[in-house]
Amino acid sequence: MSETRTFGIVAEYGDVDSVMAAARRIRDAGYRRWDVHTPFPVHGMDDAMGVRPTILPWITLGAGLSGLGLSILLQWWTNAHDYAFLISGKPLFSLPANIPVAFESTILFAAVTTFLLVFVLNGLPRFYHPLFRMAKFKKATDDRFFVAIEARDEKFDPGATRKLLESTGAASVEICEEPLDGQVLPGWVKFVGVLGITLAMIPLVVAYRARNAKTDTPRLHLVGDMDFQPKYKTQAASPLFADGRAMRPQVDGTIARGELRENQHLELGTVDGNFADGFPVAVTRELMERGRNRFDIYCSVCHGYGGQGDGPVALRAKELGEGAFVAPTDLTDDYVKKQPAGQIYATIRNGIRTMPSYAAQIPVADRWAIVLYLRALQRHSDASIADVPLEKREEIK
Amino acid sequence: MKVSPENIIELSERPPRLGEQAPALGRRALVVGCLLLIAGLGLGFSGHHGLAHVLHAWLVGATFVLSIALGGLFFVILQHLTAAGWSVVLRRQAEMLASLIPWAAALFLPLVVVTLLGHAELYPWADHAWAAADPVVSKKIGYLNGIFFTIRMALYFVVWYELTRWFVRNSVAQDRDGDPQRTVRMRRSAAPGMLVFALTSTFFAFDALMSLDPHWFSTIFGVYFFAGCAVAVFSTLILGSLALERGPLQRIVTVEHYHDLGKWLFGMVFFWGYIAFSQYVLIWYADIPEETIWYKHRLHGGWQYVSALLLFGHLLVPFAGLLSRHVKRNRAALGFWAVYMLVLHLADLLWLVNPTIGGHGESEGMVFGLTDLLLWLGLAVTSFGVFILRAQNQPLIPARDPRLDESLGFENQ
Ligand code: HEC
Repeated sequence: MSETRTFGIVAEYGDVDSVMAAARRIRDAGYRRWDVHTPFPVHGMDDAMGVRPTILPWITLGAGLSGLGLSILLQWWTNAHDYAFLISGKPLFSLPANIPVAFESTILFAAVTTFLLVFVLNGLPRFYHPLFRMAKFKKATDDRFFVAIEARDEKFDPGATRKLLESTGAASVEICEEPLDGQVLPGWVKFVGVLGITLAMIPLVVAYRARNAKTDTPRLHLVGDMDFQPKYKTQAASPLFADGRAMRPQVDGTIARGELRENQHLELGTVDGNFADGFPVAVTRELMERGRNRFDIYCSVCHGYGGQGDGPVALRAKELGEGAFVAPTDLTDDYVKKQPAGQIYATIRNGIRTMPSYAAQIPVADRWAIVLYLRALQRHSDASIADVPLEKREEIK
Repeated sequence: MKVSPENIIELSERPPRLGEQAPALGRRALVVGCLLLIAGLGLGFSGHHGLAHVLHAWLVGATFVLSIALGGLFFVILQHLTAAGWSVVLRRQAEMLASLIPWAAALFLPLVVVTLLGHAELYPWADHAWAAADPVVSKKIGYLNGIFFTIRMALYFVVWYELTRWFVRNSVAQDRDGDPQRTVRMRRSAAPGMLVFALTSTFFAFDALMSLDPHWFSTIFGVYFFAGCAVAVFSTLILGSLALERGPLQRIVTVEHYHDLGKWLFGMVFFWGYIAFSQYVLIWYADIPEETIWYKHRLHGGWQYVSALLLFGHLLVPFAGLLSRHVKRNRAALGFWAVYMLVLHLADLLWLVNPTIGGHGESEGMVFGLTDLLLWLGLAVTSFGVFILRAQNQPLIPARDPRLDESLGFENQ
């Protein structure tokens, strides 16, 4: 047996009432380092022992508030400051969008902190406790109640403390010894701990190396059949055909569905290679209305409802003031006014310089409707009173 | 301050009841309430918005009373559902609150009749010609019409009445026969009961409150209304216990019960905010005019102040105020927050209802005044009178509930 020293004095009780009474007396006697062990939670014991309120709630509150503040800071920094990124036209820094994350982080910080602190404040994890050396103490999980006053308490005095406990009606009072070297971790626990920490570093080291080294070997493909699908991409080569191309050109003398461009004026906006003036379709009121509807949907975002190049995209771009932006053309400008209808049609169909083609979204008939409406906008842009029918002039005065 | 076994036997033999002065108090409340109602109606009908204002104010007041009753029903079902022990001494109060449902039905009757007669001052869809001509509402006529509305309203109240009757009847019968099987039976019916409660209260909220603006819809609206009910009932239970603790429930309701009621109130205040924000953030994000219009009405013409009041007053301030354990265990502080939350609950209902006074779901700015206050107060005070007159018939606690001693000796860890 190794050398021992006194851990404290332990008293045993047979029922709740006597252990409660004992706790009150020890509290009143002014002891600080002592504890009560019971097989089940006893209501009112905190009070009887004079346990002071824990500071845990305050720390939880602080952690929650830190989570709140940090998450808002993070969102401001990432989205509004360091890499300003416009999402859904919302302000770069907008509280409503930040609240879900802020809310979750508040809870996360508060909960994790509380969880960890419950262990820390309770002195856990702890591999060993001297009380476990007492055979009797096992009954603390069954039907006995124990009070242990520790020797490190300032008021502890072997004789007086023992007397106090005996006078509280304890069933037995015993001294609990603890070995001097009792607090040392067994060697194998240390070994497992060090091993675990070392192993846990490996992934970090591998990741660090991979990020900072160059290599010729291709990366690992974990999901091979997603990365390598059995298909040909546009412009890919294929050994299957004599010309080595996977894409097949149109067979001579055939026309794909929907690609018969018999009426050049209608389809391309040209007659004999020149832009055609005039409309290849009947100009009606319905066509005009349709044109307005399509223009408002497809073109106004950039060119504006009036066609003057002041759509929301243009305004926003101007506000951001990034150099490379080409402003949408003012469609009521003389330069566009003078263009034949076929040319404007071709702009929609093929796109022009920085403006993309709208052929995929807008079918042929609608393109002409838009051209027609555009003509009306252009006309409107420099209309005078002479353009208004006599009978309507009164109304607009 | 534990109740000993002998005391429990005495309690179950001579359970606490309301004092002798109760009937007089109830009758006085009825008289005062009726006077207030007459004043409110007179003022309202002579006012600028006439019938429309009266109907809206009445809807707010009646919904206020109903929300407490529904909250009571929810509380009762929940305690059975979870086989809760702590709350037994409070359950009878909630049962009596839930018993106000027939009275609340009477309060809604005038609104339903007016709508059935085709007056569109409250629910614009009651105007058939307008509804048929409106491109959106015309698609909803099959649901939003006077007859089907009346049928649904009747259905909700009948379902709630039957639910309440089942739980209250068993509970009161247990006072007499002490049969523990009743507790088992009530627990078994609690789960389906809760399901039915959730569905009916959701659709009630759609019909009675959301259809004030028949263009607008929000699927979370029912939960929002329910959150208000929960806030209302926990406030009411706190106030009821405070009042009764001075008399018959002395030493039966303890600080531990207030602590738990306080936790609930705190939780429900935050739940309300969570749901309110969930509704707001989706609409804010999607930014579709047909949805944002509802908030637009509530962010202009004076309503923006009420919106701000709700954000701060109904969520942030009481959240901070109720956070601490010391507040929940302090009768005066908790009582203050209970009164405060009831007032804010009224403001919430006002905010839901009054912005549609303009007719056809349009807002006319801030229409709110003495008429509202008089009518709300009148409805609340008469309901209080009815509550007292009915409450004197039963003991104030389920005196032979098998878990009564658990509740009496309950302590928070
Ligand atoms: C995404 C923004 C955008 C949309 C949408 C858009 N445009 Fe443009 N458009 C531009 C820009 C930018 C230019 C100027 C291009 C340049 O000069 O590089 C332009 C130029 C034009 C021009 C002048 C072409 C010329 O000859 O210089 C016409 C005509 C025109 N757009 C018509 C339309 C019509 C019709 C639509 C609707 C189908 C449309 N645009 C939709 C951005 C847009």
